[in-house]
Order: sequence, then structure tokens, then C-alpha cells
Amino acid sequence: MSKEFEALKDVLRQPATPEAMKEAAHRFREYDRAEAALGKRSRPTLVSLGLGKAYPTQIDFRDIPRELETNPAFYEQMQKIMGEG
Amino acid sequence: MLALPLHDLPTRSASGFLIRYVVPRTGPPQLVGPLDRKALFSNLAFGDVIIGVGHGEPGRFYGDRNQLLLDVSLIPDVRGKVIVLVSCQTARQLGPALINAGAGSYIGFLEDLVWVMDADKASNPWADKFAAPAMMPVVNCINTILDGKATGDAFAVMTTEMLANAAVAEDEIVASCLRFNAKNASLQGNPMARVNARPKVTFPIPPPPLFPHMA
Repeated sequence: MSKEFEALKDVLRQPATPEAMKEAAHRFREYDRAEAALGKRSRPTLVSLGLGKAYPTQIDFRDIPRELETNPAFYEQMQKIMGEG
Repeated sequence: MLALPLHDLPTRSASGFLIRYVVPRTGPPQLVGPLDRKALFSNLAFGDVIIGVGHGEPGRFYGDRNQLLLDVSLIPDVRGKVIVLVSCQTARQLGPALINAGAGSYIGFLEDLVWVMDADKASNPWADKFAAPAMMPVVNCINTILDGKATGDAFAVMTTEMLANAAVAEDEIVASCLRFNAKNASLQGNPMARVNARPKVTFPIPPPPLFPHMA
């Protein structure tokens, strides 16, 4: 596990407070920057097949930090997903 | 019956893999893109299997442009059918309702079905190497069903492959999504339910690109 991903997971263990959400956004940027530096992806997008959610069902990785910082429902969804990582 | 909407990135990604690897093995009706409509879906009762990609909620499953196709309050004749819904959360209410209505078995998900895709592959989603670790286990599950094997065996193929792909995924978010999906996959009804085996047909070349995605 990369140190950037580990740091992101650590933050996501915290409840969705404004401070934690801001920190998660920062950590995701760091993680995405490290992955992009490996040159493996072109336009990664996190998608799901939900409907009527309080978070987007398709979100470009570039936009994930903003969503993490501003949307508690998306933060909590990422908590659920990363909890399995 | 196949229901394969194409109206946004997640439906294009999931439907694209089925178009490449499952459609050649199935006969009509194949409701692809704009054909994936309530009027057609509700009136086509024949066949022993329903395979649907689409957005979902606990009690509802949607088709192209999110037309409501299945609702717990209005279940079509599904007696004896094997049903796979590549969708979010339908295992919570819709799956049990389908089984109560006489479906042989049902495979779906209790939580959101999440994965990472490459948006640059929206016109040829079957070539998306980031979506493949999530979608090929679903494809192989469905093809196991179409081989005439028990639904329980097909379900095991899907969850085992998801976890195996997670173990070797280079991208940790891809791996997290795979483990999340495997944990929330659900098989309901009779695990021994099966359908008539279809011939194994694969096309050596991929289909032509899908029409452009209008974001």
C-alpha cells in the first residue's frame, strides 16, 4: 500500500467533520498526483449504478477532492469503499 | 432478455463489456441503448434469463435514460427465471420481491456497485483496462450461467474473481472497489437454478465503437 493511500485511509477513519473532509481532499490530491506520475491512467472516473444519491454517480478523479471537501454524503461513501481497501 | 442502457458513463462501461462478451451468446430480445424501454421490457416475458444493467435503488431498477423497468410493487412474470441485475442496492428489496414472485434465482448487490473506469473509453468501453477488473468477473458470472451451470457456481466465479483481481490491482482505489463489490454481492433464491446452455460464441474482433457519449 502506498504511503499516499495509507494517509488517505487514515483520514477517512474520522467522522465527516469539516476538518476531516478538508484533510481527505488534500490526501486524495496527493494520492492522485502520485498515481498520475506513474502514467498509468488517462481519465480515471469513479462510477456507480445508484440513482437519486446525494453524491454523483460518475466523478472524474480531478473532482473527487472538491466533493470530499464539500459533500458529507460522498465522504461517507468513500469511507465505506475505502474501509474495504 | 438483455437490458443494456448506454446513456451515461457507468451504464456505457457496464453495458459495453456485456455487448462485447455476452451479447454474441444470447438471442433476442436484446434491449440495447434507446431500445431499453419500459414498454418493451414489460411486454417481453419469454426466455429463461433476465440480464440487466442499469441504475438501481433498493426497490427499483431502471433502463435507458432511467426509465423505470422493475418495481417491487409491479413485478412482471418472472417465474422460473434466473435474474442478474448489474445495478446498485437492488438486492435489498427488489431481489427478494423477484424471488417471492417465483424467480429461480437472483444475483445483485446490496450496496452501490462501484468501479473505476477510463472516461476516454466511453465509445469502446470493452477496451477499458481500469474497468475490466470489475466488469470481467460480472461477465464471467453471466457466461457461467449461459454455460448452463448452477447460479451458485456463477456467483462464486464472480466473487472469487473480484477478490483475485483486488489482490493484484496496481491501483488501490480499484482494489478497494473490488473488495467492496465482492462483499456486497448477493445471491438469492435457489443456488442450483440454471438455464438452458447456450453455445459458446466469441467474436474475434470487437464490435464497432458505440455512438459518442454526450456528457
